[in-house]
Amino acid sequence: MSKPKAKAAQTHQTGIYKSDSVRDVAESLGIANLSETVASSLASDVEYRIHQVIEEASRFMRHARRTTITTLDIDQALRVLNIEPLYGHNPDNPPVFRRALPFPNAANVGPVYFVDDEEIDFDRVLREEKITLPKGVSWTAHWLAVEGVQPLIPENPPAIPKDVAQEITKSPPQANGAFPLTPPSESRSTVKKQQQQQQQLVKQVLSRELQLYYTRLTASLLPPTDSTKRTAALASLRNDAGLQALLPYLIRWLGEGVVTALKEGAQTEADGRSLEVLLDVVSAILENNTLFIEPYLHQLLPAILSTLLHSTLPPSHATHLRTSAAQTLSRLLTQHSTTYPSLSPRIMKTLLVALISSDKSKGTREGAIRGLVGIGKEAVRKGLVEGGGVKVVGSECALGETGPLVDSVMTALHVLHAASDMPESLDATDDGDTVTMRQLQDVLGNFFAEKLYGDKGWALGILSSIKQQS
Amino acid sequence: MSAATPAASSSGGVSPVNASAPDVTQNVSSIDRLVLEYLRSRGHKDAERALNESLESGGVDESGKTVSAEDLIKTLAVYAQKPSRPGDNVLKESANVLQELTAMGNPPSIQNLIASLGTVGAEEILSVDPTDKEEGFRELEAWVEGSLDMYKPEFRPILFPIFCHFHLDLVQRGFKEAALRFYGTYSPSLAPMHHATLHHLSTLLLPSHVQNDDDAQRFKNEKYVIRMSRSGFSLLVGWLTEGVGGEASGAGDGFSGEKGKRGRAAIMRVVNNHLRFDVTSASATAVSPNAWEESTGLLSQLIPQTSASATPNPHAFNASKGELKLGPAPISEELRAETERVIREQSVLDRDPNAQYDLQFLRPPAIPGVISPTESDMLPYPQSFKTVDVQREVEKVRDARKRIRLEPSALSSVDMNSVQGGAARARGLPSICAYTLHDVGEGAPCCTFSPDLTLMAAGFSESYIRLWSLKNEKLKGLRNDFSLSSVKDSGSLSKIQQKEGNTTRKLVGHSGPVYSLSFDPLGGSAAPPRYLLSASADATTRLWSLDTMTNVVAFRGHQNPVWDVQWSPMGIYFATASRDRTARLWSTDRTSCLRIYAGHLNDVDCVRFHPNSLYLATGSSDWTARLWDVQRGACVRVFIGHQGSLSTLAISPDGRYLASAGEDLAINLWDLGSGRRIKKMTGHTASVYSLSFSAESSMLVSGGADWTVRCWDVRGAGGPGKSRESGVTESPITRTIDDENNETSDLLATFPTKRTPITNVHFTPRNLCLVAGNFLAPDSR
Repeated sequence: MSKPKAKAAQTHQTGIYKSDSVRDVAESLGIANLSETVASSLASDVEYRIHQVIEEASRFMRHARRTTITTLDIDQALRVLNIEPLYGHNPDNPPVFRRALPFPNAANVGPVYFVDDEEIDFDRVLREEKITLPKGVSWTAHWLAVEGVQPLIPENPPAIPKDVAQEITKSPPQANGAFPLTPPSESRSTVKKQQQQQQQLVKQVLSRELQLYYTRLTASLLPPTDSTKRTAALASLRNDAGLQALLPYLIRWLGEGVVTALKEGAQTEADGRSLEVLLDVVSAILENNTLFIEPYLHQLLPAILSTLLHSTLPPSHATHLRTSAAQTLSRLLTQHSTTYPSLSPRIMKTLLVALISSDKSKGTREGAIRGLVGIGKEAVRKGLVEGGGVKVVGSECALGETGPLVDSVMTALHVLHAASDMPESLDATDDGDTVTMRQLQDVLGNFFAEKLYGDKGWALGILSSIKQQS
Repeated sequence: MSAATPAASSSGGVSPVNASAPDVTQNVSSIDRLVLEYLRSRGHKDAERALNESLESGGVDESGKTVSAEDLIKTLAVYAQKPSRPGDNVLKESANVLQELTAMGNPPSIQNLIASLGTVGAEEILSVDPTDKEEGFRELEAWVEGSLDMYKPEFRPILFPIFCHFHLDLVQRGFKEAALRFYGTYSPSLAPMHHATLHHLSTLLLPSHVQNDDDAQRFKNEKYVIRMSRSGFSLLVGWLTEGVGGEASGAGDGFSGEKGKRGRAAIMRVVNNHLRFDVTSASATAVSPNAWEESTGLLSQLIPQTSASATPNPHAFNASKGELKLGPAPISEELRAETERVIREQSVLDRDPNAQYDLQFLRPPAIPGVISPTESDMLPYPQSFKTVDVQREVEKVRDARKRIRLEPSALSSVDMNSVQGGAARARGLPSICAYTLHDVGEGAPCCTFSPDLTLMAAGFSESYIRLWSLKNEKLKGLRNDFSLSSVKDSGSLSKIQQKEGNTTRKLVGHSGPVYSLSFDPLGGSAAPPRYLLSASADATTRLWSLDTMTNVVAFRGHQNPVWDVQWSPMGIYFATASRDRTARLWSTDRTSCLRIYAGHLNDVDCVRFHPNSLYLATGSSDWTARLWDVQRGACVRVFIGHQGSLSTLAISPDGRYLASAGEDLAINLWDLGSGRRIKKMTGHTASVYSLSFSAESSMLVSGGADWTVRCWDVRGAGGPGKSRESGVTESPITRTIDDENNETSDLLATFPTKRTPITNVHFTPRNLCLVAGNFLAPDSR
C-alpha cells in the first residue's frame, strides 16, 4: 500500500476503448464539456458492447466454418442482437486498415489507424478493362488416402520429413483457446512456402543496365543514325560477352524488323538499308562466340531466308542483300550443321521449292540460287542440275538477256567447276565437241549451254563433275 | 446455504457514490495543495509532514471511503475470523457469524455497530475495500502452490471460481480500475485452462454489465462445484480458519497480519456463498487428472433438477434416469420377410450360394447388456412398407457383405514402418476420397453427401445451396407450364420433366447463410434421395424436393438462426438445433414443431439422432452434450467434460457411443448407457468440424479447421504419449515434448490436405471414407 499513485496512473489506460475517443465523438456532436466520469463509463460501456457483438459474431464465424471474422458475421450478430446492421460493408471487399505514421508533435496519441481509400482514376480504369467474371464454384475429387497411405499426388501436400513433422505438431495448440485459432502453425506454412518456391519456374528479370543497353543498341542500329555509331554497335554485338540474357529480345527484334521492312513491298532505299543492317546484326550475333544461339536458330532462319528469297527487294540493294544473306546462311550452316544435322537438308528443300516451282519471280529464283551457292557445291549440283533449276531459269530468260539472275547462275556454274584461264571455244564442226554441246544442252538447257560454248575446258569440267557425282 | 448476497440488491446504490468520489478528492487535493504551500512557506515542517501523511493514507483508500469505515472493517474482521469452533465456521453464513458475535458478548460499542449494520449487511462493508481481495487471492495462490504435490491438482480448481467472484465483485462495486488491475495480475496463471471464460469476464466493466450478463449471473446465482478429497478439504478448511499449512510460517506476514485476515475473510465469503464442495472419500491420488473437467464448474443448472438428487452430480443424474434402449430398431415382420424373399431370389439369379448367409445380417446379434427397443417404443411410422424400403434393406445386407473391414486394433501391436506394419495399415485404415470445393466466395459452411453417393450438396454463406451430381448425370426439375389434368401416371410425369439440365443446380430460397444440410435417408444406399433439408441463419428450415428441384416447405418456429438439421434415421421426422437454446423435433407433414427440447443454457450447436431414432443427442455452447428421449422430450443423459462449446457430434452405428468435439480441440468419447466419459482424444490443432464412425463403430474419423483428417481408434485405451513411434526409452525431455503436442496414443493416422478445412466427413456403409472441404486460396485474406 505504499505506491498506489503510480499504480493508479498505470491502470488508467487498461481499457482498450479510451475515454478520449468518447470525448472526440462528443465534440463532433457538439457536446463540448463532457465530464471525465461520464466519458470513462461511456467508454467502458462501448467497449463492452463491442465485445458483445464480437462474441456473437464469432459464433457465426464458427458455424460458417471459418477462422476469420468477416463483416458478414458482424452483420448477422447485429441482426440477432436487434441492432440495425451497418450498411455498406460487404464481405467481398473487406476494408483495408492502414497505420498512420506517428505524429512527431503528439507522441502520446498512440497508433492511429485509418481506412485506406484508394483514389480511382477513371481514365485508367476504362483503359485497363480488367473485368473478369469469377469462375463459379466447382469441385474436384482426389484420394487423400488409399488404405491408410497418402498417395504422393499434386493434390496432396508433400510428405513432411519426420523431424519437421514433429516440430509442427509441437507448435502450439493453445489448449482451450477461446476462439478457433487459425490452424496453420507457423512452421508448416513456411514449409509450404518453400515448396512452392521450389516448384515455381525460375523467372529471370532483365537488369536495368541490360534494358538500357538494349534500347540504346536498337536505337543506334537502325538507319537514321550515322555509320560510326552503327559500327560501334555491331562491334559490341560481335565481341561483348554477357548478352545472352538479351538474345531472345534481340532475335525477336530482328524478326520484327525484317517483317516490317519486307511487308511494305521493300521498295524504298530506307528499307533496303535497314535490311542490310539487320543482316549485319545477324552475322554479328553469329560471330559472337559467347552467345549460345542454337535454341534460337529456328527463329533466326526465317529472317535470313525471307531476305534471301523475297521477290522484290529494293533494286539498288537487291544483289548485295541476297549475296550477304547467302553468306550469312552459309556461315550459319558451317557453324551449326554439326550439332544440328537436319538443318542443311531442310534449308535446301526450302530453296529448291523456291527455285523450281513455277510461279516464282526472278528475284526469288536468284535468291534461291545464291542460297544454294552459299550452302556449297553439292547443293548447287543437286539444285541446278539434278533438280533442273538451270533449265527452268533458262527457259524463262529471253535470248541475250543479262541481269542478276543470269549472273547468279553463272556464279553457281563457277562453283561447280572453275572457268579456264584461257577459254577455248567449242567447235560445232568437231564431232567430240558436238557431243559435248548436246550433253550440255541436255543438262543445262539451251540458254545456259550456249553461254558455255565459249569455254571448252569449263564445259567439260562441269560435265565431268556432274558425271562424277552421279 | 443459499442465502442471497445482499450485494446484488444494493449495488445500484453504491456505484454512484463511488463514481462521484474522485471528483471530491480532486477538489480536496487542490485545497490541500494550497494549505501545504502555505505551511511550507511559513516553515511549519511538522504540520506539513502530518498533513502529507494523512493525505497519502486517504489516497490509498481508492474508494474514497472515510477512515472510520476502514477502521470498522478492521475491527469487524478480527471478530469475524475468530472462530468459535475451528473447522466449522467455514460453511456458515456471515449472518450467523454476526449472531455469534452478539451472543459472545462483545463490548457494547461493537454491539451497537452490529445493530446499526443490520440493514446494510456486514458483508458489504467487509467487501468494499478492493485491496483485501487482491491480498486474499495472492495468499490463496501462494498456499495452493506451496501445498504438497499430491494436493496441487485438487486445490488448483479453487483459484478460478474465487478469482471470478472477486473480479465480478470488484466490477459490480464500481472499482473498475481495481478490477482491471486484479485481472491483469492474476489472470495469466489461470488463462491456459479458462481462457474463454476469463476473456468474457474481462469484457465486463460496469456494474450494469454484470447485472445483465448471463455468465456473470450464473456465477452469482449458482454454486460452483468443486470436487475434493476429504483430506484435501480439511486442509483447506484448516487454512481458511487458522492459516495453517501451505505457506511456511514466517514467509511474508501471512495470516498473522491485518491484511491477511481481511483477505481470508473475503475468500471465506466466496467459499461460503458460492462454492459447493463435492467431498469424495477417495484419496487425492486416485482422482484422474481429467476428472475435474467433469465435476467442476457451475453445474447446478447444467444438470436438470430432479427431486431425488440434491447435489448436482452428472453421474447421479444419469443413473437416476434408468437404462436406455440402445439396441437396433426393430424391423416389421412383413418387411423382413419380403426382404428375405428378394435376397433369396437374387441369390438364385446370381448363382451365388453364399448369399444365403447374408440373411444373418438381417438379424443382427444382440449385444449383451444392450436393450433393444420393441415396436411399441418406436415413433409412429406408416404401417405399410414401400418398394424403396425393401430396396434399402436389401442394399443394407449387400453393403454389410461387401464392406471393407477395418481393424484398427491390428495397428496398435505392430511397428508402423515394418512390412507387417504396411499390411496392418491397409487393414486398419480406410481409403479416403477428398472432395474439394474451389472458388468458394464467402465460404461454404456445410457440404454433405447423399447416402447413395449420387449427390453432393453444399450450403453457402451467400444464402444458396448448390447440388452436384457425383455421377455426372443431369439434374432435371419439372417444368412449370403444365396442366394438372394431364398428369395421370409416372409416364406423364416424366413428360413434364425439363428437357435440359446441368450436372449442377442452384437452390435459392434462404435469406441467410446456410449452415446445415441433410439428405433424406429413406432410399439408403439403394436409391437416390428425394428430399433435402437445409437450415439457415434466417431462422427457417426448408424442405427441398429433388424431383422438382424446388422448395416445398419452410418450417418456421425457431426465433434465431438454425445451426443444424438432421433427418431421423427412418425419414419423416427431423430435428433442428438453434441459437434460441432449443432443439426441436418436426415431421415433414406439419409446419409446426412436434417437440421442443429445452434445457441447454446456450446455443444448441449440433444435433444427431440415435440410430434407432429413440434418442436425440445435442451439443451446446454451454459446454455440455445431452441425450433426449425423443418422444417424451425429457433429458435422459448429460455429458459434462468439454472445456468449450461443442462443434459437432457423432453416434456410433452400433448405438453405444457418442463422440463429441469441442472448441477445446478435444474429442470426447462417451458411453451412452452409463453417461460416463470413456476417453478424451486430443491432437487436433484447430476446431473439429465433423466426426464420423466407421460402419463397425471401431474407428472414428475427424476433420477440422487445421486442414487435416485424423483417424482414431475407438477401442484403443488412449492416454497421452506416443511411445509407439519413438520406440526408445523415453527421456524426460521427450516426455515434455509429447506433452506439448498432446496427441493421444489412439490417434492412428493424420492425413494433411492442402489448405482445405474439412467441413464434412462421411463413412459409406461399405467403409469408404469421403471428406469434403473448401480450398482456401493462399492469397484470400
